Amino acid sequence: MALILLLSMSAGLVRVVIGPTPADRMMAAQLLGTSGIATLLLLAVALDVPALLDVALIFALLAAVSVAAFTRRRAGADRA
Amino acid sequence: MTQLVLLLLFDAVLLITLLGLALAAVLSPEPRRAVMLFIAFGLWLALVWARLHAPDVALAEAAIGAGLGGALMLAAARRAARARRQDAEAEP
Amino acid sequence: MELILHSVAAVFVAAGAAFFVTGTVGLLRLPDLFTRLHALTKADNMGLGLIMVGLILYKPDPFYAVKLVLLWVLVMVAGATGSHLIAKRALRRDGEDLQ
Repeated sequence: MALILLLSMSAGLVRVVIGPTPADRMMAAQLLGTSGIATLLLLAVALDVPALLDVALIFALLAAVSVAAFTRRRAGADRA
Repeated sequence: MTQLVLLLLFDAVLLITLLGLALAAVLSPEPRRAVMLFIAFGLWLALVWARLHAPDVALAEAAIGAGLGGALMLAAARRAARARRQDAEAEP
Repeated sequence: MELILHSVAAVFVAAGAAFFVTGTVGLLRLPDLFTRLHALTKADNMGLGLIMVGLILYKPDPFYAVKLVLLWVLVMVAGATGSHLIAKRALRRDGEDLQ
């Protein structure tokens, strides 16, 4: 169980490495959010802390908010 | 036993990546990139709190530190870039 | 019985993690933004879904299952919307670097 958790974790890690590529940081951030959700779900089972599910919910909300903020930024910059 | 070793490995990866992210965020020259890295850093820190059996702190960190803070900082970076461009246009 | 259920759950979770790794590789290796977006969102949603199926099998509890499914739906909706926004921005070519 913990091994699979580590696998998903390393996927997130690779994603962080590509985070600062020029064009698509936002995609990387979105992916990071989703893999963070997966890691949290696995941690919730592995550590026996069911409250981590709520943290995963907040992660999901957060990814949507930050993507929206990012694209809004581009739109505003375009208009100016 | 194996689980303990694996969790230890997990912690090591988590810590190294956290430090790397923090350094990258602080040292990056461009504001937008720094904000992106800060959002990623917030997510990562929330994972650390979750690993430390503190789901409530992780919740607050994810919501405030990464979500709202990140969105606000993105907006601030946008306004800063626009102001700089207007200055550059007014200058010559 | 429980052993069988747990091994099936482990298989599902492993498949989900494999999807995540595939998505990461796609994000790293594919040439342009749209192919990357394509690889990434699909792998992402499928991976999370498989992991959730595995976890539901691992811990069969109705409330837990409902919560996980709701979380999955939320992630799917948010992911689809976000990808659409990113793709639209990229299509209109409103500048990568506006500084």
